[in-house]
Amino acid sequence: MKRLALGCSALVTLATAATAQSVELDLWTIDDPGEYHYVLAEEYMQANPDVKINVRTVQFRDMVNDLARGMATGESPDITYIDNPEVALFASRGLLLDLTPYIEASDIVNKEDIFPGPLSSVTYEGGIYGLPRGANTIALYYNADKFREAGLDPDNPPQTWAELYETAKALTTDDTYGLAFSAVATEEGTFQFLPWLQMTGGDFDNLQTEGAVEALALWKSFIDDGLASPDTLIRSQWDSTGTFNAGAAAMSISGPWELPRMSKEAGFDFRAAMLPIPTADAERASALGEGDNVILANTDNPDEAFAFVEFLYANMDRVWNEFGYLPAANVEVSDPDYPEIYAVFEESMKYARNRGPHPEWPKISQAIQGAIQSSLTGQAAPADALDRAQSQIDKVLD
Amino acid sequence: MLRFRNTFTDGVGFDTVLVMLALGYLVVFSAYPLVYNIIMSFQEVDLFSLASFDRPFVGLDNYRDVLGRPEAWTIFLNTVKFVGISVAAQLTIGFGLAMFFQLDFPGNSWLRGLFLAGWIMPALVVGAVWSWILAGDFGVLNHALLSLGLTSERIFWLSDPDMALYSVIIANIWLGVPFNMILLSVGLAGIPEDIYEAAEMDGATRVQRFFTITLPMMRAQLGAVISLGTIFTLQQFDLFAALTQGGPSNASNVFQYWSWQLSFQYYEIGVGSVISVLMILFVILVAAIYVRSTRAEHVA
Repeated sequence: MKRLALGCSALVTLATAATAQSVELDLWTIDDPGEYHYVLAEEYMQANPDVKINVRTVQFRDMVNDLARGMATGESPDITYIDNPEVALFASRGLLLDLTPYIEASDIVNKEDIFPGPLSSVTYEGGIYGLPRGANTIALYYNADKFREAGLDPDNPPQTWAELYETAKALTTDDTYGLAFSAVATEEGTFQFLPWLQMTGGDFDNLQTEGAVEALALWKSFIDDGLASPDTLIRSQWDSTGTFNAGAAAMSISGPWELPRMSKEAGFDFRAAMLPIPTADAERASALGEGDNVILANTDNPDEAFAFVEFLYANMDRVWNEFGYLPAANVEVSDPDYPEIYAVFEESMKYARNRGPHPEWPKISQAIQGAIQSSLTGQAAPADALDRAQSQIDKVLD
Repeated sequence: MLRFRNTFTDGVGFDTVLVMLALGYLVVFSAYPLVYNIIMSFQEVDLFSLASFDRPFVGLDNYRDVLGRPEAWTIFLNTVKFVGISVAAQLTIGFGLAMFFQLDFPGNSWLRGLFLAGWIMPALVVGAVWSWILAGDFGVLNHALLSLGLTSERIFWLSDPDMALYSVIIANIWLGVPFNMILLSVGLAGIPEDIYEAAEMDGATRVQRFFTITLPMMRAQLGAVISLGTIFTLQQFDLFAALTQGGPSNASNVFQYWSWQLSFQYYEIGVGSVISVLMILFVILVAAIYVRSTRAEHVA
């Protein structure tokens, strides 16, 4: 049996030698066949017959664990998808290839074109460890029909937090909540809350702002005053927006990934507006989602791997219409689907800020989730909850 | 040579091989992970040092760290409530149903089979079904309660911190009752009918018969069901993942789910291991009781 296996591998070696310089690249992705990585890998192989790309699907929630295990056992891929906040974790361990020299030599990738949020997500201590494949952010979806029913002007969606509260209140009826959002105790909760904090001058390393207390108090009042469902505490963004699509909520805070389902399920005039800000002159902020194409430091074919990652980047203008996320760089999108909503998200993207970067982001995120959940359940006053989270985060940052 | 072979086909050698096989299996799949887990609880471990033993030892730091966290006490109490209430209710209902199905009535075996449905289904599916039942805004249970006029407002089973743990317990009781029922049915079927008949002739009432015959005769089974139930309940993970993820704000978190969160969501694997070591110690205690109760069965 062993001899047979040896014989086979010898044959394989021969065969590879015969086809001359043919390169195999292993690519891990969270996509399923028919989505981004599968489609583009196929196109790339058509154009470059000497390169073979083996695409493997890994569940989103398993990606970090599987990568760590793969690296420990030497079975890691050459290229992989990593979610934004995880880049720092892998980069800090020297597990990712620093792309800076490749980008400098590249005619296609221009660092200045990448939006600041996405660029920050792939940057760690001066190196650039990946290229964003796209981006997403959040905005306020609203049901224009319900606006009209409630006597509100659908062309004039809420701009500030106070207006958001008033609008949600006006839209709340016996069978409809004014607003749907997600305060769930996962990364999604942090993702939804961080922009509110950043608009008030805070960030993950500075939670104790007056604005943060105000934001949590506002979130609490949405739930306590019946403008949002108490299940907001345990619902993902996808589930929350499901209630919006079903007409059980008049507004919903979520991202562009909702649009395919919304256009099928929501039988009403849905629109989007930028995330409301604390006061009319406050700075804007928005969340930054999606992930990056990174090359692992131990790859045998860094040049070929970069050529493929570069190709992925060059197709950034297609991601909105074909794959459902936003470009992470300044590219021209011709004839975008849902043009008005696209314009809102495109504008929001300019204010999208990275989560972190920090190699121990999950612990920081957990502290923030704790503050959100203990405030909204009334177990702690917002200010105390934020103090506690801050001390937890300080321990991580030291 | 022949003798050498004979010992393997029919003799001491054969016995030794069998024992070694079982022992080898236990060492590889039980003892090794167990010891590995205990070692990790004394080390600083993260995702990338999982595969090597070469990790800094930190003594009892992990233990101090995790037990000193403010949520540790809440989660401990939740675990006690979860196990205590689940096992007690599963046992009571399971025992009741087992006695019910001892009676002879048409459709008996059909009905009993149906009760097993919950046990056969994967816990994640059960979790999904219960999350529809218990959902706050559109849940089946709230709809039923409101239409019957039993409550005037929706109850947020899964997101109200005072309710969340009990909602998971309700689902878990439902999940565990069939197992209890089947095991106890077997025990009940083993009690000779003539003892009851003799007692009945002596004028013992139903209640007296239950307390003086059924309960004592079922001691071994009850011990087994309680300890197995405790172990299964401590392993219950999927329901938490499907229903509340331990939330809101740890209100329904229990040790087994917390351990997983620490290890695989926050990558504090050393600290997560501490929790599983503590749980293993407790389970060993329960298992000892189980072994004792089944030993009594053999003697009887």
